[in-house]
Amino acid sequence: MMEKVNLDGAVVNRIRFKLNGREKNLDVASHENLVDLLVRLDHFSARESCGQGLCGCCTVLVDEIPVSACLTLAQLVDGSEVKTAEGLAPPGELDFVQRAFIEEGAFQCGFCTPGFVMMTHALLKETVDPSETEIREYLAGNLCRCAAYPEIIRAVKTAARNRPERTEKP
Amino acid sequence: MRGFEIVRPTTIERAIELLESGDPGVRPFSGGTAIMQMMKTGMFVPERLVSLAGLSKEHSAISVDGEGGMKIGAMATLSTLERNDLVQTCFPVLARTMKRLANVRVRNVATVGGALSHGDPHMDLPPVLAALDAIAILRGPSGSREVPVADLYTGYYETVLEPGELVAEVVIPPSDGASAIYRKTTSRTADDWPMVGVAASLRLSGSRISSARVIVSAATAKLQRITAAEDVLTGQGPSREVFADAARVASAHSDVIDDAHGSSVYKSALVEIEVRRGLRDAFEGETAE
Repeated sequence: MMEKVNLDGAVVNRIRFKLNGREKNLDVASHENLVDLLVRLDHFSARESCGQGLCGCCTVLVDEIPVSACLTLAQLVDGSEVKTAEGLAPPGELDFVQRAFIEEGAFQCGFCTPGFVMMTHALLKETVDPSETEIREYLAGNLCRCAAYPEIIRAVKTAARNRPERTEKP
Repeated sequence: MRGFEIVRPTTIERAIELLESGDPGVRPFSGGTAIMQMMKTGMFVPERLVSLAGLSKEHSAISVDGEGGMKIGAMATLSTLERNDLVQTCFPVLARTMKRLANVRVRNVATVGGALSHGDPHMDLPPVLAALDAIAILRGPSGSREVPVADLYTGYYETVLEPGELVAEVVIPPSDGASAIYRKTTSRTADDWPMVGVAASLRLSGSRISSARVIVSAATAKLQRITAAEDVLTGQGPSREVFADAARVASAHSDVIDDAHGSSVYKSALVEIEVRRGLRDAFEGETAE
């Protein structure tokens, strides 16, 4: 089989995956990680910061599971469904977790916020009403250099109270 | 990190074939959390990565037999180990250890097989499995063989794995009433790599210790089972004095090394303290956190 090479001289393979519900079908180089790929697709919410999986700024959901996109080889999301902060609500709108972060002022510079928001989604999917300890343990791998941690913990609790499936019930 | 090939075999036999050459640029890739960092820093320059993600589900299964022995497929993630009901019931020390290992995202993708075969002495899972007398089932070009987890390592990032050999499964014998613990000390932040890791297991028969395991990791170049300390414990009645004696012996027999986490003198002192506390925790039972 002939190898296909991109403009940088890197060997590429075609992958198909869903990004925030939309089918993507494109050539990906073997060395690209998932943050590189998302940036190429104009998705900027996942940021490569530490590059080692310990800061959480690049958290995305792959098949509903939170992972560090900086440690995920892009070719290996072939066949998966990737969700980023951009896909949480229609353009111009915010979902209940994002609104809770604003309500509680749970950020200053905002760089780490998409990662915290995606982790919060994953936590609330696993645990309906997380305790403060559960929140702290689950988010221990996300760093906020502005140290908005008390507000972030409050935002998670607020999001847990305001989740749609809870407020929609009569 | 460019110009390499990623292949995704769907059977372990094919994966072994793809790895058999022993070429240092060809490596298996499961969760990837450790190897990605080696690639990013240029420590490892891949030619071909053999992704194990496409292997069938049987390779991530966890099961228990009638006697309470457990089998863990090497592709089980550390999150699975943390949450699995059978693990929590039969070997709660494993689930507890996972809670303080890296973070949720790493545990979601990192695998048992990867944690065992990477050979980094700072990893938490190998010492715990060694204290439980776990056996790694290796599969390679010339078939399958069993190696106790305590004997998997030959040095710093060095294992007994031959080219093309993969950790396929881990078998843990029934706990038979033994109580096991893992303690780690981190020198910088709570979620840092451990400077000292101590795993221990005690089984009591009446008022005597009928068997003991003492494993030291992280402070040493490879995990070390300290049989001299185990000999101090076996046959004795549990007491502060016996635990203190065993801890002194454990520290004296540990081949502690200096590194960025601390000096060998400091770490040797901590090994003694942690073994003493670990034995107390194991004696006090599974409720001790």
